[in-house]
Amino acid sequence: MPLMAGLMRRFADTKPFDGLRIAACLHITAETAMMTRLLQAGGAAVSLAASNPLSTQDDIAAALAVNHGIAVFARAGIDRRGYYRHIERALSQGPDLVIDDGGDLVNTLHTRATALLDNVKGGCESTATGVLRLRRMAAEGALAFPVIAAHDTAAKRLVEGTCGTGQSAIDGILRATNTLLAGKAVVVAGFGASGRGVAERARGLGAQVIVTEVDPVRALDASLRGFRVLPMEQAAAFGEVFVTVTGSCDVITADHLKVMRDGAILANAGHFDVEIDVRALENLAVAVHQGVRPHVDAYDLGDGRTVLLLAEGRVVNLVAGEGHPPEVMDLAFGIEALALAWLASNIKKLPVGVHDVPADIDAEAARLVLAASGTTIDALTPAQQAYLESWRIGS
Amino acid sequence: MSADQLPFQVADLSLASFGRKEIQLAEHEMPGLMAVRAEYAPSQPLRGAKITGSLHMTIQTAVLIETLTAIGAQVRWASCNIFSTQDHAAAAVAVGPDGTPDDPRGIPVFAWKGETLEEYWECAELALTWPDDGTNTGPNMILDDGGDATLFVHKGAEYEQAGGVPSPAADDPEEWQIILDRLRNSLADHPGKWTAAAKNIRGVTEETTTGVHRLYEMAKDGTLLFPAINVNDSVTKSKFDNKYGCRHSLIDGIKRGTDVLIGGKVTLVCGYGDVGKGCAESLRGQGARVIVTEIDPICALQAAMDGYQVATLEDVVGTADIFVTATGNRDVITADHMSRMKHQAIVGNIGHFDNEIDMTGLARTPGVKRTIIKPQVDEWTFPAKDGRDGHAVIVLSEGRLLNLGNATGHPSFVMSNSFTNQVIAQVELFTKRDEYDVAVYTLPKHLDEKVARLHLDALGVRLTTLSKEQADYIGVTVDGPYKPEHYRY
Repeated sequence: MPLMAGLMRRFADTKPFDGLRIAACLHITAETAMMTRLLQAGGAAVSLAASNPLSTQDDIAAALAVNHGIAVFARAGIDRRGYYRHIERALSQGPDLVIDDGGDLVNTLHTRATALLDNVKGGCESTATGVLRLRRMAAEGALAFPVIAAHDTAAKRLVEGTCGTGQSAIDGILRATNTLLAGKAVVVAGFGASGRGVAERARGLGAQVIVTEVDPVRALDASLRGFRVLPMEQAAAFGEVFVTVTGSCDVITADHLKVMRDGAILANAGHFDVEIDVRALENLAVAVHQGVRPHVDAYDLGDGRTVLLLAEGRVVNLVAGEGHPPEVMDLAFGIEALALAWLASNIKKLPVGVHDVPADIDAEAARLVLAASGTTIDALTPAQQAYLESWRIGS
Repeated sequence: MSADQLPFQVADLSLASFGRKEIQLAEHEMPGLMAVRAEYAPSQPLRGAKITGSLHMTIQTAVLIETLTAIGAQVRWASCNIFSTQDHAAAAVAVGPDGTPDDPRGIPVFAWKGETLEEYWECAELALTWPDDGTNTGPNMILDDGGDATLFVHKGAEYEQAGGVPSPAADDPEEWQIILDRLRNSLADHPGKWTAAAKNIRGVTEETTTGVHRLYEMAKDGTLLFPAINVNDSVTKSKFDNKYGCRHSLIDGIKRGTDVLIGGKVTLVCGYGDVGKGCAESLRGQGARVIVTEIDPICALQAAMDGYQVATLEDVVGTADIFVTATGNRDVITADHMSRMKHQAIVGNIGHFDNEIDMTGLARTPGVKRTIIKPQVDEWTFPAKDGRDGHAVIVLSEGRLLNLGNATGHPSFVMSNSFTNQVIAQVELFTKRDEYDVAVYTLPKHLDEKVARLHLDALGVRLTTLSKEQADYIGVTVDGPYKPEHYRY
């Protein structure tokens, strides 16, 4: 993680978070460990809760607590109540800044921990799903502090969505099922940056990829890239592997499950477990054989068909795989750390609401990653700069 | 018309200087061919060879022709397709590097773009008819592409033995009737001509799958009259020309013909052999959704594993936007299929012959109307039916090779691989006639590897050399051949 390593040296020197308490709610992985240590190096006192009950790597959590003095509240496989209790405990130190991944921490702050809100100066949100929730909160006037939508920058869309989710979702499916994708009909629901990554990689492995979309521009994009675009209603009967990457709910429903082929594999790579209607699947099934392989549950539909649900419908790339590879998280967390440092130095200047990451922070992060890999790029000459800024010069 | 009176027949000699410039560009892109030209120039191994060539008269073929003459051969040439001649190439070959349009000094070439079928077979016969050397008016070598020159000699000899040319059957294609008419006249005017020619021919080197198929059939039936080298199945030919060449020129032809956006279109590729694989890859690369049809379960499985939907033509005839035939078989797309296609579906063939798409059946469809959009692009409108306007389909190159008819065929670099094999095969058969029985041969693997080696430098390829220990370990010599005969690459 060369970007984070470089920032570690920079932050140790500049101490952008000196005297600040930061509460983070993130997937407890090796990359998150690096992030918390980076914040710590920048002078922050860090507390950490898990952003998903299934994704916690217990060894990482233990190492953070024992070796690095991070207040960690996370345990793999914890139930829903325990999950929220962990978030509340991570908040209990009274954070100045927050980092969230999906919005559960910010939501807890605004509902069950409102006493702590006054002290919070701002935060970052890591995922599209969380940002959607934040924007709805802001629209209703419920959001109490400025939040930077760190999920969405040009560099992140490319590296994290397309490359990271694209690769790790496939990785999770392969690890869980060991199915050969070549020749299979793979239905990818959603053709955002992540869906595109999943679709392209599935194709690269020899699958016939069908895309479903609700957005006509994205559907056109998928179509012009040579993917077959169908409504889920039709795709449901074709698919052998389904991957939902929409950020929406009820993408695969009872109606779709009723027409699926025997042996169909269902996986979700969107943030929440709402994309596949697992309850409908349970209702349709006459028997559920849990754990036929790790993270694979077989639902016997009683009519000779069995469908396989991966990771209980939760993010397959984190549950059955290892989440984003370090390079992806390096950029994601690097941008988030740079954005948080920028926020720390601009406290009170930013109005309450959801803000984009400033473009120069995105560019700075990309430049640092390129430099670490030995890639140098051209710089605009003054004449080119003047040309781009002028409206007077034509052909 | 006798051959002596007609040194060549091309569309327009004034195109020669343009053709010469393109030949010079092509020479740079044909490093293998230029290397064998340099290698054999001192020894002139084809001195005494009278080669009749029947092969698409393009710029690349011009470089082949001039390589053959540079190493000693005399050459007469016709194209092997009525649409594939590039007129500036034919003009430049007729004029030659040292001539001018007023003083042409090239080789006898009989080819122009847009021949009628009658003209096509007249050209073939002219290319096969040499000045009388006292015993013979035939060539002593054939360089064939699709087997038409070989067929003409074989049928001529066969009918001479039989004492006459049979009458065509009522359902014979028009082209077959033309061939029979031409041979009937030949038998009347020059009896015994083709029997003598066949005896004198040392062999044929065949360029393409279809021609090779004919040769093996003749060898099986015992009707083959001289040895043949199957150039098509050199790895550096079929795997390169068929796959990479078609990958390049298929979409070129579709775009020049129609300028349609390929991205997002549903395209059907019939056949997933080497040609079909190249076609599918290039269409996908342009963003098309590619569906494949196959009859061979192995190729069908390959297509599926490469991520293509494999369907039958019946499944998708009403939904595909672009249809490409690449099967080497007949009647793949019928008039009935075309009657059920989407309005303005594009139909084209990249297989060697024009029988993959049933153009005869299309023309015979009651009420169908042909509108020429431009040369090699026809709109065929079906009659209105059930109160709905008739739909139209766009047929490229009248069902003939669209990559040659609508574009310029394979690019020079690919053809350099094929043609270097051709030159080596011509030298092999001409100089070692006694070592070959009347049968069909492929070039030995070390020559195949030589052809590849001659093309590496131009691409900046740095080849690794085996150590003696490594070579011993896998049981080859350091200089190759590196693979067993049955290796499939």
